[in-house]
Amino acid sequence: MKKVLAITWKDIVILLRDRAALILILAAPFALTLALGAVSGGSSNQSSGIGDIPLIIVNLDRGELGGNLLQAFTAPDLGGLFTVRIGTDIKSARQQVESDQVAALLIIPAGFSASILPDMQTGQSGSAAPIELYTSPERPYSASIIRSVLVEMVNALEAGPLSSQVVVQGLITSGRLAQDPTSIGQAVATLKSQEINQTGGQTIRMQVGQESPAVQNQQPSALSYLAPAMAVFFLMYTVTLGGRSLLVERENGTLARILTTTTSSAQVLGGKVSGIFISGFLQVSVLIMASALLFGLRWGAPLAVLLLVISVCLAATGWGILLASLATTPWQVGGIGSALMIIFGLLGGTFVPASQFSNLVRAVAKITPNYWSNNGFLILIGGGGLKEIAGAIEALWIMTVLLFAISIFFARKRWASGFARK
Amino acid sequence: MRLFAIAWKDTLVRFSSKMELLFFFILPVLFTFLLSGAGGGQAQKSQVLVVDEDGSELSQTLLAELQKTNDLVVRVASLDAAEALFQDRKAVVMLLVPVGFETGSVAGQPVTLDLRKVSGDASADAAERVIGSAVHSLSRMIEIARLSVIEAERVRSFNTPAERQAYFMDRLSAAQAMFATAPNRVEWVQANTHGAPLDSRAQASVGQLVTWVLLPLLGTSVLFAYERNGKTLQRLLTTPTRKSTYLFGTISGQLAMALVQMMILISFGIYIMHVPWGRSPVGLLVMMVSFGLASVAMGVTLGTAIKTERQANALSIMIAQVMALLGGCWWPLELFPPAMKTVAKALPTYWAMQGFTELVLRGFSLKAILPPVGILLLFAVVFFLIGVRRFRYE
Repeated sequence: MKKVLAITWKDIVILLRDRAALILILAAPFALTLALGAVSGGSSNQSSGIGDIPLIIVNLDRGELGGNLLQAFTAPDLGGLFTVRIGTDIKSARQQVESDQVAALLIIPAGFSASILPDMQTGQSGSAAPIELYTSPERPYSASIIRSVLVEMVNALEAGPLSSQVVVQGLITSGRLAQDPTSIGQAVATLKSQEINQTGGQTIRMQVGQESPAVQNQQPSALSYLAPAMAVFFLMYTVTLGGRSLLVERENGTLARILTTTTSSAQVLGGKVSGIFISGFLQVSVLIMASALLFGLRWGAPLAVLLLVISVCLAATGWGILLASLATTPWQVGGIGSALMIIFGLLGGTFVPASQFSNLVRAVAKITPNYWSNNGFLILIGGGGLKEIAGAIEALWIMTVLLFAISIFFARKRWASGFARK
Repeated sequence: MRLFAIAWKDTLVRFSSKMELLFFFILPVLFTFLLSGAGGGQAQKSQVLVVDEDGSELSQTLLAELQKTNDLVVRVASLDAAEALFQDRKAVVMLLVPVGFETGSVAGQPVTLDLRKVSGDASADAAERVIGSAVHSLSRMIEIARLSVIEAERVRSFNTPAERQAYFMDRLSAAQAMFATAPNRVEWVQANTHGAPLDSRAQASVGQLVTWVLLPLLGTSVLFAYERNGKTLQRLLTTPTRKSTYLFGTISGQLAMALVQMMILISFGIYIMHVPWGRSPVGLLVMMVSFGLASVAMGVTLGTAIKTERQANALSIMIAQVMALLGGCWWPLELFPPAMKTVAKALPTYWAMQGFTELVLRGFSLKAILPPVGILLLFAVVFFLIGVRRFRYE
């Protein structure tokens, strides 16, 4: 045991003295977390920086609905989502959209109100006069938001006249109202003056929560997602480095020298494996503590966090050992390890959430420690506990056992063929 | 001739390991493909689980309203199954329709739907908006149906509760039909830029090109460290080769490789992703050279600050990723907070994205992309001056 600990300690000391490694183990995850946090709204709860969307509205309608729409876009209840300018020159406004100075131009055409509101005498509406929404191709998200808000507002405007038609039609078909123009006209007028506003009510409400009821305690910020994702992304680099060290020792002849002593190959491998695990554990722990101290990020129930960190470090160590047992040179480990780190990061949802991928890609993503740990950390940060992350921990342990078993199989074959002395 | 020999030697050194092909071509293409959503099939649609505990005609109407939207993939499941699927991230949103949804709605009592969404996921936020809009729309139709019932009762009461319920459902269907056949009130026109919109394909194609080309060009510093530490640089300079020839040879070799890499990624963008890269070949070439020069100049400057290859490697990965992120290569700048949009302007990645995006979106010729080209060349001049002055040959 003493020898195993000595080898473990030696590897950790070598790692701590390696400035290049420290850049990628600690500085890079910090820098990327900060950068990602900055572009996605920092530690605030905002999901993005979209706000104050510049918009020009040209109102050519002389009726009341055009004015109502204009007021609705500038109303304070939209919370500064739009910065609206009233325009008169359509040509110049179009040019501003085309050169991306504004996100969109909204033209309310002449006769818009008349196209929706029925005539009091005839009960008929005018011909259709659609609003034109002219958007910049460089702002797909802003365009989509403006469109959904506009459609919602127009639907609300249209609900009044449509409700009159539905009510009156029902009264006629059920024999409660005579089908003559005078009776219909009176009924429409009564509805318009008395009850039409009721259609603005909202019967169905939506209660929105994060995850399951057990994990709704804290609204996660962008950093809550990014900090653990980045820590695990660079954990893959650390374990690769650990796996690489075995092949470096072999190449430098220090492995053969160790084996001339009374140290067994199992002790050497045990020391290496625990060195990789402890390095990874220290890396993730430092990043967790630093993000908690510097950004005030609450990682959740300490025991559950500890268990998840141990589980993900073990699974990642499994990948590091597997690489070392299959590769023949340190360069190979370094190259394949970097590629794995990037591929695992992408599939596991470090850069974009894994839910955006197809079922097939998401199925493949399950072989990455990143996928399970990202899910687990997010649940813990949201207020969940051990029960909620049990699935993720179980998956990481299964991964660990499988990877260690495969690594041992290959390592035995190679050591039997004199790997250490080559 | 010596220049060519040095450039060729650097290319051989770089591709001595087959792993380099992974970073040169395979990973950039994989990232472009996956991030564009092209491999996702329904990647642009949000997966939604619905638990219908009411099992009523009205809850079926709500389901139909949700399925009508083009942005959701709706899957109905029992509560236990939905909990398990949601926990497993098979869907980003889970919507629970409670018992009493229909009876409450008919009676005019407010009913509450329980929506749970995955944290920190943009597609979950988008799904929430879409569901909210569908719910609002159904709510409005329910109000119209209720108003119809009130008006009908004012004239003559219903004989039985069932008759009242049937009248409500009939008016609800009528309201749905009227909304469905109402004339189109909004015409959405995308500004005619004679190009493509900045959709996920264009963003991924342009953004990943900038990211993956920047990485090896900053890695020019690794080559310098390799030559210096292996003493091959000193050996080279004992021959009648001038220092400037060595530097120029290395820089032009790296630039040439970057141009080849860009051409491969642009071809992938044009033929596989259908991104219109090639409508201004001259403008594109000028942008490629300007971006390549600015990036390799930064690599030269970085090479003056590091001692070992591993340091150079680690720093170039870190700097390239941070600059790519802040320059808008991963997400559109539209999503950035205002302060970050200003900070981004200090980075060459921002100007590269501006220039390339302009070419893809608008297909403009050289004149329109002069500002980003000018700024990239300015970056190149400044960093070359710093790099060449501070370069250590021993």
